[in-house]
Amino acid sequence: MTLRRVTIAAALAVLALYGGLVLSLAWFFSGSALRGTLLSERTLFSVRLSLMTATLAASLALALAIPAAYALSRYRFPGRELADTVLEFPIIVSPAALGAMLLIFFNNPLGEWIQENAVRFVFSFAGIVLAQFVTVLGVAVRLLKASFDEVPVELETVARALGAKPRYAFATVTLPLARRGLIAAFILAWAKALGEFGATIMVAGTMAMRTETLPIAIYLRLASADIEGTVAMILLLVAIGLTALYATRKMLGKAVHA
Amino acid sequence: MLEVESLTVAAGTFRLRDVNLRVPAGECHAVLGPSGSGKSTLLHAILGLLRCERGRVRIDGADVASVPIERRGLGYVPQQLGLFPHLSVRDNLAYSARARGLPRAGFQPLLDELIAATGIGQLLERRPATLSGGERQRVGLVRALASRPRLVLLDEPFMALNASLRRELWWLVRELQRNWRLTVLLVTHDLAEAYFLADCVTVLLDGRVVQQGDKAEVYGRPAAAEVARFLGVETLQPGRIVERREGLVVVEAGSARLTALAPDGVSDLVLVSIRGEDVMLERESDPPRIASARNRLPARVVSVQPGSPLLCVELDAGFPLFALVTRPACEELALQPGTSVTAVVKAPAVHLLNRTK
Repeated sequence: MTLRRVTIAAALAVLALYGGLVLSLAWFFSGSALRGTLLSERTLFSVRLSLMTATLAASLALALAIPAAYALSRYRFPGRELADTVLEFPIIVSPAALGAMLLIFFNNPLGEWIQENAVRFVFSFAGIVLAQFVTVLGVAVRLLKASFDEVPVELETVARALGAKPRYAFATVTLPLARRGLIAAFILAWAKALGEFGATIMVAGTMAMRTETLPIAIYLRLASADIEGTVAMILLLVAIGLTALYATRKMLGKAVHA
Repeated sequence: MLEVESLTVAAGTFRLRDVNLRVPAGECHAVLGPSGSGKSTLLHAILGLLRCERGRVRIDGADVASVPIERRGLGYVPQQLGLFPHLSVRDNLAYSARARGLPRAGFQPLLDELIAATGIGQLLERRPATLSGGERQRVGLVRALASRPRLVLLDEPFMALNASLRRELWWLVRELQRNWRLTVLLVTHDLAEAYFLADCVTVLLDGRVVQQGDKAEVYGRPAAAEVARFLGVETLQPGRIVERREGLVVVEAGSARLTALAPDGVSDLVLVSIRGEDVMLERESDPPRIASARNRLPARVVSVQPGSPLLCVELDAGFPLFALVTRPACEELALQPGTSVTAVVKAPAVHLLNRTK
């Protein structure tokens, strides 16, 4: 067996695994259940809620991740190593633990004060966004740092020498050159937020028509032994996710600059 | 005008020590040194990327220690040129004006003039990646000059080009520099480039200035053996002064005796430095062509080393002596190992250095 054959076999095995999982849904597929699920107001609420929270969480994550990743890529400062190490923290501790930690935080005096006087996070829309934001922030910073690392510092120096203030150089040289990385980071953060379950359920619970995102809807349907409904919800999530990924690939393809 | 005074800069473990440099307005000054000599560190300090440990940098008389890069009035052309890949040539050229928020009328005339002078008018809509090496250089130069810099910093910008293209750009830069009376600091490790473009030269070795002055002076009379070696002086031979009289000295080198101009402040133990192109070869039987030459040494050809554009002839003249000759001259004299010739060296071409051990 040549290297070529072995590696291609591995690539096809990956496809077979995920493709097989999706195809196996057909066993319990029911057209009427799908129609019924798709047309129910509760499902439409979940779709809207998921799209809104994921978009909001990914946007907020990028708003913090862009400057943070730039600092990690360009400057030496106290705490830099630690800040870099902690980026994988959400992946290591699992979303459930992360959600539990958030919940515990909102039960300490500072957290309670925030709940009383600023924003209610527990069992709320804001809680879902916060849970998703915390889960995706680290990986967004990691991806963005990698793309800032690839922009030569010298180009910024040249821009500065040509009379650009640091912010102008950042906005006109660094950001446009890191554009592919920015798009990729947003999409990945968005997709991860869309599918987020563990942290969300800890902070926001499973209240129908209030905090029921798509993954939580899947969980609730399965918990009540509604297999056909579960399959329908999964197909919905798959369709939304794949459409978004496909659109991104198209966008990234166009964003290729010489 | 650029003035660097007693500048000491640390960059990692490397340290540039006590550098003094002055580039009068409208002149081109070359900093010459091998890689690792501190050229880039010096440039980065002038740019404002590195903090000066000691000393100061003045541009047009003003200390720039607390002036950020963007307000130093520099035109910086780095080795890789730093053209912005996501912008067209036109947008690259207009970058400086836009960054400073200048009105179009304020910069366009100068830019048009520079575009015409460098012949890049056809390239304005192209992206940098589609340009040839020479085109990229021109765009990089015009972009830097379009900001009306008080000081132009060139960091080995021609190294990636082939020899003929490099020569073409040297001409262009020299013309621009003279016509626009640009103050230029050129950093390079290429002696020919420094000699072609610069008026004065600073030689940097191991973070220290080892020689500074008029380029012909530095070229012909290196101040130390290390400078001579770096500049590629072909013959470097230990000798001893055996006689001093009337502004001349006689030096014993190997089994030969050479007459040289009496140097200042040189002890008897010397290093004889002779440039290959200052050695002329004649047939042994020929009548002397240059009667005034003090040194006529009988020599035997040891080897003829191929080279371009000149051939290097290794001679035994009582000590190893190297001559650079043209191909026709080599053929006319029928030079080959064993040929006997007369090597003629004028006294001023014999440069004496202090020999330290």
